[in-house]
Amino acid sequence: MFRLEGQDRVHAGRLAVIWVILSVIGIVAALQIHYPPYDNSVQGADQSKTMALMTVLAVPIFIGVVLMLVYSAIFFRRRGLELVDGPPMLGNTPVQVAWIGISAVVVLFLAVVGITTLASSSAAQAVGAAGRAIGQSGETGSSTAGGQGPELQVQVVAQQWYFTYRYADYGGVETTHLYLPLNRPVELHVTSLDIIHSFWAYQLGVKADANPGVDNVFHVTPDKLGGFQVRCAELCGIWHGHMADSDGRVVSQSDFDAWIAQQQKDEADIQKALPSYAPYYFPEPLTKGS
Amino acid sequence: MVTAEHVSERRLSIPNNPITGVLLAIPAYFAGLWLGTLFGLNDDANTGVILGYTFATAAFLIGVGFLNYPLERLFGWRVSPISDPEENRGIGRFFRLSLDHKVIGMQYLVTILIMLLFGGIGAMLIRSSLLSPDSSITPPGQYIMLIGLHSVMMIFITSAVIVGPFGNYLVPLMIGARRMAFPRLEALSFWLVPPAAVILAAAAFWGGFPTGWTGYPPLSEQAGQGMDSYIVGFALIGLALIVSGINMLATIITLRAPGMTWTRLPIFVWGIFTTSILGMLAAPVLAVALVQLAMDRTVQTSFFLSANGGSNYLWQNLFWFFGHPEVYIFILPAFGIIMEIVPHFARKPLWGYRTGVVGLFGVALLSWFVWQHHLFVSGIAPVLRPFYMLSTELISIPTGIIFLVTLGTLWRARVWFTVPMLFCMGFLFNFLIGGISGVYLSDVPTDVTLHGSYFSMAHFHYTIMGGEIFALMAACYYWLPKMTGKMLSATIGRVHFWWMFIAFNSTFFPLFIAGILNMPRRVSSYDPALQGLNTWVTISAYFLFGSMILFAGNVIYSLFFSARPALANPWHARSLEWQLPTPVPAYNFERVPMIVGGPYDYGVPNARPVADLGGLVGVTGGG
Amino acid sequence: MAVRTRGRDVSPGVEALLDARVVSVGVWLFLAADLFFFAGWWFAFFYLRALNNNQAWMIQGLVRPNRGFGTVVLILAVLTALAYFAASRTPGRGSVFRLLAPVSLVLGIAAVLYQGYGMWHLGFGLTDGAYPSVFSGLTGSWLVQLAGAVAWLATVVLQAGARGDTLARPHSATSFGWILLFLAAVGIINYFLLYFVA
Repeated sequence: MFRLEGQDRVHAGRLAVIWVILSVIGIVAALQIHYPPYDNSVQGADQSKTMALMTVLAVPIFIGVVLMLVYSAIFFRRRGLELVDGPPMLGNTPVQVAWIGISAVVVLFLAVVGITTLASSSAAQAVGAAGRAIGQSGETGSSTAGGQGPELQVQVVAQQWYFTYRYADYGGVETTHLYLPLNRPVELHVTSLDIIHSFWAYQLGVKADANPGVDNVFHVTPDKLGGFQVRCAELCGIWHGHMADSDGRVVSQSDFDAWIAQQQKDEADIQKALPSYAPYYFPEPLTKGS
Repeated sequence: MVTAEHVSERRLSIPNNPITGVLLAIPAYFAGLWLGTLFGLNDDANTGVILGYTFATAAFLIGVGFLNYPLERLFGWRVSPISDPEENRGIGRFFRLSLDHKVIGMQYLVTILIMLLFGGIGAMLIRSSLLSPDSSITPPGQYIMLIGLHSVMMIFITSAVIVGPFGNYLVPLMIGARRMAFPRLEALSFWLVPPAAVILAAAAFWGGFPTGWTGYPPLSEQAGQGMDSYIVGFALIGLALIVSGINMLATIITLRAPGMTWTRLPIFVWGIFTTSILGMLAAPVLAVALVQLAMDRTVQTSFFLSANGGSNYLWQNLFWFFGHPEVYIFILPAFGIIMEIVPHFARKPLWGYRTGVVGLFGVALLSWFVWQHHLFVSGIAPVLRPFYMLSTELISIPTGIIFLVTLGTLWRARVWFTVPMLFCMGFLFNFLIGGISGVYLSDVPTDVTLHGSYFSMAHFHYTIMGGEIFALMAACYYWLPKMTGKMLSATIGRVHFWWMFIAFNSTFFPLFIAGILNMPRRVSSYDPALQGLNTWVTISAYFLFGSMILFAGNVIYSLFFSARPALANPWHARSLEWQLPTPVPAYNFERVPMIVGGPYDYGVPNARPVADLGGLVGVTGGG
Repeated sequence: MAVRTRGRDVSPGVEALLDARVVSVGVWLFLAADLFFFAGWWFAFFYLRALNNNQAWMIQGLVRPNRGFGTVVLILAVLTALAYFAASRTPGRGSVFRLLAPVSLVLGIAAVLYQGYGMWHLGFGLTDGAYPSVFSGLTGSWLVQLAGAVAWLATVVLQAGARGDTLARPHSATSFGWILLFLAAVGIINYFLLYFVA
């Protein structure tokens, strides 16, 4: 390896010491923060951990560069008014290689962590397994509702300017609030009736764009009781800011069963008028003037 | 070149200037509207508006004088001559079509700064509206209009704010050329900008457009006539990017003075070079998307409507394939400025010059492969996500090289902390935060919470405003003495810097927190618990606007009320543009210069001056 | 207007060489940008065809565009490009150029007019799915560029006389040939995509 000589060594030594001290303080502080989306779902917990990891890595980098800037402003300024040239340093290959190498390692590490988080079964489901577009799987726009497997099928229907939710396993009943049972994997099918919206359930760590004619599939497994915020996260016209719903709730399985039974009863008349449950909906007629 | 015998003496005496342009544009606009109704292609007048804007722009350009040369070549007429740089030295040349790159640079500077004022006013209106957590201050319809106008105006500005004024003015000077490769094309790239700005502002008459700068269909197909302003205005700016890119690249490739080898090229020129590659190749893809949107809105094709065979993902892919290189078009010239200015004030060579160039090319190359990170939660095939996450994170490596090179230049230097140097330091701080926040957004799990929130907003304001605009300020304070012959006041400049730096960080850092706390972007109403945060941000934003007014005041005071003329080389810099007298002569160099040294050879023993301006007769071409 | 040599120390011969390089570099850069433009359209073609949303890439019973018509336009465009390219390459330039270049111009005008006529009588509706949209947009964009190139060709031809400067600036005339060839090649690709691959 190479060795630093003379002045270089003095400055580098000072900087290294200050940097280590400040970084340790910074990292400890960073670990105290509670990162969203907090701990209310399996996927959300993974996302929080990733955010914590990124902050822990970002802190020393930030401190290092800012320290260099401040140090330069103090120790590397010109003395007096005379314009004297500095030492003619054109570069230093080992330093450049080290910098590029270290930044590559950090970046690749983050990428690997991100990819593994994505790939691990629970998280993969948080960010979308089978965003089925129309026609690819031969779907023609209707399907029978049916509760297959342990995953609860919930469709999020976005439109200007509110969300509604249809429970496929319960006859496609449409509700205006999203209730989810605790500890049960949920398969969300997000679609839109008009333009692009985005379903953002903050505390659950879910964000999925709602596109017309597309069935966007995301998974979430809520593992804490409580409420969650739903907001639209894609500009959808005038009332985009008001397209929010603070009545999302994660409830126990028995509460959920009671609630959904109540919804089926209350909404029975309306249900008759709704189109049958389908992965996505098109208005009829389709072309102008026909 | 037109030979004398070829041109007949027949001439049409039309005064070619913007006023003629406007006078021709107004009837042309109504002609377009009328033609649209004639086609009867749809019932809500989009065809008419688009044709109207297009005809008006063409008429404006004809009025300014762009048809003269084609007509001259076609028929041999001598229509009113375009001012030759040596013939016309009066103040009027700034208000007419000029082929002098220095004049075009000044025209760009003034125009873009005026547009920046309007964009900033839009920002102040937006922030004022956000003082209240419901939509009580500004009705939602107006708020959406403000968002659209502010954001698109800023996109127009930041696409050109460094390349336009400083690229145009400086590139020929820095490479030892006496002109640009295609002066008429360069003039065209400037004269497309005022029509684009006016057309954009005209959207206000139609109630604006509801999509922000990203123009996502189907919302953009649902929108009223204001959307057509977006389509035509953005298309004009895209055309300006293509034309300017071709010209800059051709100039740098072919017109370097003898001895100006690629390794002696100032790093600012490398920044413009890489930017121009991106602009020239990315803007055509935007043009495709805009044409398709226009067709969907006028002749009822279905590029973006999934019910009829189209796909909203088509727009998203085309737009972001352009959109991501576009943001690197914003920042690469800024990188060039910072790496250019720092050595001259550190009085040290640019540390790792070749690495810096590789860094610029690395950023430019990787920028083509990352665009789907804007679509992580859109519903794209999951298998694509890891690739784009990796490619986006890899971009941090060449970006980090910029910091490496700059910090290495500062190492053990004798830095002269002038106002431009202060803005360079501010850039490095701001872009560090902006860049690091980008890594959060590039990681898919964290992007789930951060996409479409104020975190994303804070990220791009840190990189674009904290980065590019700070670099713009550095460039103004550094090069205005050469461009105008007057130094900007350093005292006011220091106040300006600290005021702007503190206000900027105070405005935008809390927005990271707002995003983390569940505030989506582009909303007129938000959770009342965030009202305190938003109020702090708004007040800081007012201060930030104030700092820009101070800058404007400094410019006006220094240029018009201060008696002190600038020296020809007030910074005692080595680079070629500073070896010229102020004001710079019409054709820049008396004789073709012979380049014999590098621009950053400070402290190098027995360093030769950068060029022999005595020059050799009859020698041209690059090294 | 007298000629202004923009570089005082540069002899006209050398300036001409420099101009030649400037023009040819400029044309290649323009063609790179134009390639990206058409690549955007080709992406749209393949993407929408692959997605086939709502089975509406090509709806049932769509009246396909007339392949014979497209063939005629393509042949005219290709001949335009080849004729001009041959003209710009002839050594004893003057007379051969003055013969072939106008031929190229006539062919080019015919191509533009015939294609323009075709756009007006497509036979299918633009609302009939994604393929008609892509067909009309891609062909229309190509037509606009071809028309612009033919207008430039007209300048070149009109200036090819003894008092004109086309032959005095051979580099410009040659470089223009590349643009026509590029447009012809794009036409060939579009032809195969729109008539055979779709």
